[in-house]
Amino acid sequence: MVVVRARLLHEILPAAVADGAPLLEIADVHLAFAGVKAIDGVSLTVRRGKVFAVIGPNGAGKTSIFNCISGVYHPQQGSIHFEGADILGLKPNRIADLGVARTFQNIELFPQLTVLDNLMLGRHQHLHYGTPAAMLRIGKAAREEARNREVVEGIIEFLDIQQHRKSYVAMLPYGIQKRVELGRALAMAPKLLLLDEPAAGMNLEETEDMARFITDIRRELGIGIVLVDHDMHLVMDLADTVLAIDFGRPIAAGTPREIQSNQDVIRAYLGEEHAVADPGGSA
Amino acid sequence: MTTTLPSVGTISPATRLREFATNTPNAIALREKSRGIWREFTWAAFWDQAEAFAHALLAHGIERGDRVAIHSDNRPEWLFTDLGSLAAGAACMGLYPTNPTVEVEYLLKNSGSRLLIVEDEEQADKVLAVPTADLPALEKIVYLEHRGVDAYDDPRLMSWDAFMAEGRAHRETHPHAVEERMAEARPEDLAYLVYTSGTTGPPKGSMITLRNLEFAANEIAGDRGIVQPGPGPDDLIVSYLPLCHIYEKLFSVVFNTGAGVPIHFGESLDTLVADMRDVQPTIVQGVPRIWERIFAAIQVRLASASRLKRVNAAIWLASARYVGRTLVRREGRHTVLSRLLLRVGDVFLFRSLKDRVGLRRIRYGVSAAAPIAPEILQFFMSIGVPLYEAYGMTENCGVATANRPGRIKLGTVGEPYPGCELRLDAETGEILTRHPAVFAGYWNLPEATARTIDADGWLHTGDVGAWVDDTHVKIIDRIKDIIITSGGKNVSPSEIENTLKASPFIKEAIVIGDRRRYLTALIGIDLEVVSEWAQRHKIPHTTYRDLSEKPEVIKLVQKAVDAANEKFSRVEQIKTFRLLTKELDHEEGELTATQKVKRSVIEDKFGDLIESMYR
Repeated sequence: MVVVRARLLHEILPAAVADGAPLLEIADVHLAFAGVKAIDGVSLTVRRGKVFAVIGPNGAGKTSIFNCISGVYHPQQGSIHFEGADILGLKPNRIADLGVARTFQNIELFPQLTVLDNLMLGRHQHLHYGTPAAMLRIGKAAREEARNREVVEGIIEFLDIQQHRKSYVAMLPYGIQKRVELGRALAMAPKLLLLDEPAAGMNLEETEDMARFITDIRRELGIGIVLVDHDMHLVMDLADTVLAIDFGRPIAAGTPREIQSNQDVIRAYLGEEHAVADPGGSA
Repeated sequence: MTTTLPSVGTISPATRLREFATNTPNAIALREKSRGIWREFTWAAFWDQAEAFAHALLAHGIERGDRVAIHSDNRPEWLFTDLGSLAAGAACMGLYPTNPTVEVEYLLKNSGSRLLIVEDEEQADKVLAVPTADLPALEKIVYLEHRGVDAYDDPRLMSWDAFMAEGRAHRETHPHAVEERMAEARPEDLAYLVYTSGTTGPPKGSMITLRNLEFAANEIAGDRGIVQPGPGPDDLIVSYLPLCHIYEKLFSVVFNTGAGVPIHFGESLDTLVADMRDVQPTIVQGVPRIWERIFAAIQVRLASASRLKRVNAAIWLASARYVGRTLVRREGRHTVLSRLLLRVGDVFLFRSLKDRVGLRRIRYGVSAAAPIAPEILQFFMSIGVPLYEAYGMTENCGVATANRPGRIKLGTVGEPYPGCELRLDAETGEILTRHPAVFAGYWNLPEATARTIDADGWLHTGDVGAWVDDTHVKIIDRIKDIIITSGGKNVSPSEIENTLKASPFIKEAIVIGDRRRYLTALIGIDLEVVSEWAQRHKIPHTTYRDLSEKPEVIKLVQKAVDAANEKFSRVEQIKTFRLLTKELDHEEGELTATQKVKRSVIEDKFGDLIESMYR
């Protein structure tokens, strides 16, 4: 018997080479609903092993971008390439199969299922057996079930939610549900992770935990991460590149430091009267 | 067989472990739950790990008497470090997982530890926050969990795997080195440095020797020990109290290597209840706080059950009260009727209650480390959980008194162990003990040692006691905690505090009144229980503070205080109280690492609140 220790994520999930190669490329995307422009000419490139953050006021079009990437919305103009392949117009499940996983602003778990079952569902595209085998729980079905359970147990350990393993999601505190949702996205073994306000509504400690999870995912898996959040500290701490949008239009892009001192961003996002604290930013 | 048994030095937990590995190599020594599965270590595997660790220490030049520190939650590696250090002749020093950086610095510096095992990034960060130059003795920091720590570049850092690989390589080239070290062991060798949590002043390192441990093993876990019939491989123990404390050591190390009881490590402290339910241990060591929590959990469960279940519970709890009274009157011995009632009640109620909290198979439960309310003991006895109060301290390696089956006196800590001389100081009533497990003194503090162990070898415990029926000992209080009211009356605050804490709603109680006209109390509510109560009574609430300020909650606590007051004479009654608006915390200095309240800090921090009760 060997000593058991917490597994690093790349020991249970496929890792990418964090070489900074382009993973997701969006060029000049336009999306309108009955004449209302939701996205107006957004371009961005997400690289492997990097965290890309999108910030902007409420209704700026951040979640719309996510919905375009994951295939929920189909933009009228522009292109979206994932690993070099055109994914514009593909159905959401096809895009998920390619390795794009997401979490939602308002948690979208199955509240009447346990944490374990929700996470196992995240593995469904990694199950390769037929209905008869599944019903009898024999042969391949039993083996795959065990293998997937191992992956899920590794994720439970990573997120430190062992005590909630058998709890129904509906009974859990909000902060824990957020973790479970992140876990389900991880269970899909994604190449690109879309996180829609992962720290919304959390207290300081929960936000710090979430920041640690994101840092560890990026370090241990080397996958690309797109992050949308209102918590500026979180975004500025985690992101390599930040894109600020307002009314669906990109207004600035750059490193967190550049964005923090950008006058347009301060006006749009932080408010007109916001004093500029960064001595390098104002003249 | 061509192998010869290695020569034996002084008997120690390490030699006992080696013996189990030789005699019953394939029996289970430890189990650990990880990723949802209980994983097993045989005695052979346990010894293999401990021996490899000892070899690694030798490879790093650790000498006899050097200190090896570990900063981790309970897990098998804790015991590999502990037993491996003993095998190498080094002394193991444990830090509490909750120790903040300043305390980590103090303990490492004070002990002069040469090597430190840290569990993960969190604990590594604490020691790395101390400037390297401030810890000149510390040469290596070995980490268990790779996450995060891998990226650090402090030259002292090394992974557990790499460290153990060096140990295995050393074993290849020097196969008899550890054996030779073990043969050099002497009874007076330092085994552990156990830092007392210190409700006053900085922690002091108690020197526990191999002789101390051997005596404790025979007195506590031996054939004439506290568990009857004697403990063995069929018993089960869950390790969950801090392993750096002598109390958990007695169970996780002494019961394990002394009597062969398998030790179980759960997934985390948060999963304790689920882990207990899995294991259903036969021997359970607990502090009053744990027993109070289990008691409160059972009460909440019963109160929120369906009507039919509540009726069923009411019937059998009434029967249990009779059983409890009978047992208390007869010092724990059943009558035919009480045994019958308990058996039947077990079928209808108690078995399922006990199963839920992991006490279905318990045959010996012990409460120690702090006084427990007799009501709680009586409740557990009444539902068939054999729970005994015992008394001991780090300085006597936990060997002083214990209640024994069929000879229980509630409100006492029991009778002295057969091998323990115990007497009360004629003047002060202080409890004095003398036996081979009295420690060797405080680390580098000869004066404090001389104040504690007198010329005749008596250990001065600092506790005031009294004899009950000439056989059992009752603890009055710590000498320094005794309150003398301005009327000149001596009052023991802990007795009142424990009566208050017997209410499931009250988690913390601090009685005030030294040199004052009357007694008052600061009370902290039990967030979980009171919150559940508030929900049932449709009282909306948010935080701990908010809940504590609700008039309904204050009224609820007042009722509990009134009930407690009925049990005391006028001068010992709580005239008024205030609710604490925050939970007490170790990291903020209000509790010791063992969750004992630091009175001086509390009296300082909540001075205004206290004064408001005397205006």
